[in-house]
Amino acid sequence: MTSPICEQTPVKRGRRALAAALLCLTALQGGCTSQPPSGADDTDVVTLVFRHGKLSGDLRPLQDLIRRFEATHPTVRVRAEPLPSNTDQQHQIYAINLEGGASGIDVLAMDVIWIAEFARAGWIRPLDDLFGPGQRAEFFPNALEAATYGKKIWAVPWYIDAGVLYYRKDLLKKYGRRPPPTWEELIETVRIVLGGEQEPRLYGFIWQGRQYEGLICNALEFIWGNGGDVLRPDGWTDLTSPATTNAVTFMRDLIHRHAVSPSLVTTADEETSRHLFAGGRALFTRNWPYAWSLFEQEGSPVRGKVGVGPLPSFGGGPAVSTLGGWHLGIAHDSRHPEAAWQFIEFLTSPEAQKVMARKVGIAPTRRSVYHDPKVVASQPILSTLQPILERARPRPVTPFYPMVSQILQSEFSAVLAGLRPPRTALVAAERELLHTLLLERL
Amino acid sequence: MNRQSEARTGYLLLFPALFTLTLLALCPILILFWLSTRYRVLPFGIDAFAGIYHYVVLLQAPRFWNSLGVTLYFAALSVTLELLLGLAIALLLSRQFRGAGWVRALILLPWAVPTVVTAKLWDWIYHPDLGVLNYLLQHLGITTAPVNWLGMPSLAIHAAIIADVWKTTPFVVILLLAGLALVPPDLYRAAALDGASSLQTFVHVTLPLLRPILLVAALFRTIDALRAFDLLYVLTGGGPADATETLSIYAYKILFQTMQFGYGSAIGVMMFAVVAMLSLLQLWLGRHDMRRLVGRLP
Repeated sequence: MTSPICEQTPVKRGRRALAAALLCLTALQGGCTSQPPSGADDTDVVTLVFRHGKLSGDLRPLQDLIRRFEATHPTVRVRAEPLPSNTDQQHQIYAINLEGGASGIDVLAMDVIWIAEFARAGWIRPLDDLFGPGQRAEFFPNALEAATYGKKIWAVPWYIDAGVLYYRKDLLKKYGRRPPPTWEELIETVRIVLGGEQEPRLYGFIWQGRQYEGLICNALEFIWGNGGDVLRPDGWTDLTSPATTNAVTFMRDLIHRHAVSPSLVTTADEETSRHLFAGGRALFTRNWPYAWSLFEQEGSPVRGKVGVGPLPSFGGGPAVSTLGGWHLGIAHDSRHPEAAWQFIEFLTSPEAQKVMARKVGIAPTRRSVYHDPKVVASQPILSTLQPILERARPRPVTPFYPMVSQILQSEFSAVLAGLRPPRTALVAAERELLHTLLLERL
Repeated sequence: MNRQSEARTGYLLLFPALFTLTLLALCPILILFWLSTRYRVLPFGIDAFAGIYHYVVLLQAPRFWNSLGVTLYFAALSVTLELLLGLAIALLLSRQFRGAGWVRALILLPWAVPTVVTAKLWDWIYHPDLGVLNYLLQHLGITTAPVNWLGMPSLAIHAAIIADVWKTTPFVVILLLAGLALVPPDLYRAAALDGASSLQTFVHVTLPLLRPILLVAALFRTIDALRAFDLLYVLTGGGPADATETLSIYAYKILFQTMQFGYGSAIGVMMFAVVAMLSLLQLWLGRHDMRRLVGRLP
């Protein structure tokens, strides 16, 4: 495969036209704030534009880190420009600005699922020369896998996420139950605890079933946990296999047959789930690690009553979490790639990761940080997380991921709402998926 | 001047109008159609021939049939409600009473509010925890628990229709008020002389004379409702479970969120076909009224 970077000019020109059209269309939505850097960067001082999504929690540690970088690199200034917290909007802003060519962006934070797309579109640079195998060895291999497309590496893992199961320690203890290793046991535990509590406001298991990317993360955990898959390594789909069909059926049954999940999960996202669990309204919930510090913060009704662990699996098989997280890459049209790389190297260094882990509570991408005594002391959850993160699987690494995700969201959502039987929905999804994957061969 | 040159001058004078129409209306549709026969993903530089394959996939996709159904259901119900409500309000406002001018201006208010604002407004009204609708219903003892109006597929589409009716009924009212003003007062007087009841007057005088305007209102509203996008996109984004995903939202998602210009254009073509067919059907059904309306114009 030729490098997507070496695209010829006619394509680029078409792209400019497209970008201009998109710009007109989305100008209504607001949020397009990028300005190409003005001629302010005179003589030796270089200004890097760093765009990233809003981090949950405190912004100051990141700002302090940037100032520290500027202190050690006197010729570089960094202008951090946070994007809206909605990831779809972030994606659109990147697409418009980067497709236009003169984005003015140097360093960008990308959701793991965007990297192959951005690479194929020629929006970011390959980092093989800068980010050698020796440097990579320190990082979680699954996070690197998500940043690899066409045998090249395109981004450096900045922080990492994986789905985990939160449970109410106090309630499990009261009924002599353990954190469930299997879904079958989770159902049984919910029945026993809810039956004993007789509290109509207490739900069993809350997860994310709204029609959005989070639904795909949840569904893949059920599907992988059952030995199924969406895309196989050979590029074919595995959507209609019995393992996948059963897993999707099981999700629907959690709501409609076993009644361990209320029907509101079909409209729940991470924050809805977190608020319900934080309000003591649920026995189990699936969420990302960020929820932990919020459950444990002062004034939280569930403080000290929450346990966290790996997700259950089916019949004793290995449990698999969906890999999430953010990577840092260099925009293709950046005029300061060397400075951009120094900045990325700094932000992903063990020192910076320790700061971010301790002060913001986000999970580092370097394994060594998990053994740092200071980090472990302030974030004890990290030792629980590490094995889960090690086993987490990236969502299909394909430039067509946005299309794949949208097809699946639509069909999974129809199943959960009871609008279509799982088998029908999956057959339809497979047909549309093949239509999309055909594009990869063009 | 002989007949032939007169005809030539006629065509010459028509030319700018026809040329503009072709350029502005026909060309985009032809380009859309051409795009729908190609695989095209611009950011990836993909551009290849697809023939009718997009249509083959589309016609087999439950998502397409679902969005077609949602579009038709949304249009049928919202236009019917808007016409009925609009007619009732127009009849009321056509009477002379103190402050009639004020009320006529006030009724226009929802139409003047930008659609995005309307959508956000109703989003809050429907909010399961903080919405005023749940508050009222629970306060009056009609429901005991908060209802997730935009969260349940069967409720969300109706919630969206109500918001649309609220927003667009004023448009129908204004059109019908104009139509009512065109009914000669003599006819009412004659009907009164003949001893017709108000219902008889309405059925035999008002309604027949109002029919052409009603038809125009129905046509405008149907075309508009079939293209419904902004209100739904902001209110529900097409969810839950695609229950409010109209053809235009579907096309938008495929075109601009996943950048599949070929496949998205195929949805656009299907949408164009549906709107064109239904509009032509309406025009044909009301062809006599239309002629009368055109004849009555100065």
